[in-house]
Amino acid sequence: MVELDFERRLERLFASVPELPDAATFADRVERRLAAGWIARRWLIGAAGVVGGVIGASQLMLSNVFQRVETAGDSARLLSTSFNHMSTGADWYAAVSGGGTVVWVAAGLAVIMMGFVLTRMIGEI
Amino acid sequence: MPGSRHSRFASLHDVELCGLSVTGDRRAFGELVRRHGSAVRGVLRRMGAPSAEADDVAQDAFITAFERIAEFRGEGAFAAWVKKIAARLYLRRLQRDRKLGLLAAEAIEDEPETPRGDADAAIDLEEALKVLGAVERLCVTMCFGAGLSHSEAAEALNLPLGTVKSHVKRGLEKLRARLAPENGVVLEGRRGNG
Repeated sequence: MVELDFERRLERLFASVPELPDAATFADRVERRLAAGWIARRWLIGAAGVVGGVIGASQLMLSNVFQRVETAGDSARLLSTSFNHMSTGADWYAAVSGGGTVVWVAAGLAVIMMGFVLTRMIGEI
Repeated sequence: MPGSRHSRFASLHDVELCGLSVTGDRRAFGELVRRHGSAVRGVLRRMGAPSAEADDVAQDAFITAFERIAEFRGEGAFAAWVKKIAARLYLRRLQRDRKLGLLAAEAIEDEPETPRGDADAAIDLEEALKVLGAVERLCVTMCFGAGLSHSEAAEALNLPLGTVKSHVKRGLEKLRARLAPENGVVLEGRRGNG
């Protein structure tokens, strides 16, 4: 019983730590380190995105995608011409589909969406 | 302004702050550091860490705690959880710097200290801990300050369980002689849960 009392007393003594005078400074230092870690992480994610983008772009160039896109653009132009012939009320479609613009805009949006999803996924990890 | 920035967290309970920290709120976690930083640093100093090293380890412990905050279930106190992390980190640092072996060797050469007879002076814990050998001090502080069980301390120190129990027992006897010289009862140690 006596030893239990002493151990409880000891636990109380250990629990009673006086507030150190530089407690606020210490907490600020920890917060700064956390913030620095977060900034580094964001830079890493950004750098990974740039590297991924460069690799993706080089792969696209290597696979002659631009020629294919031009072909697709021609096809789209052909399609729009056909549509124009078929329906005179579909003038709006012809306005946007000229010169393969639609394909480029769609590709751009897809890349942006993929980048956004990737960033979110890495952020979650 | 730092004061107003942190004021909205001041009224929140630790568990609520932990909940916010899980979502990545660094300011909420900063409030936890503000509340418990001294306690964690205090435990490390009582383990024998010099002030600067104790602060470094305490910082690392809080950073680790933030990274692993999702693992904190709120079953015990947040401060107790971080103290355990800090104690383990400090031991790892001692092992890395190969100081732990030196401390253990030092402990064997330790002469048993004669209890100071003057009960008149109010001796604080810091003074009393100085009577202990380095490993005894580590063991006692880990078990009573950081809340580790004997087996957890043995694992962290990489020492046999029986050795840790002996260190704790001897440490308690010395502390008791120092803190309460009028009692001469031999302690058995309540934390024999390993």
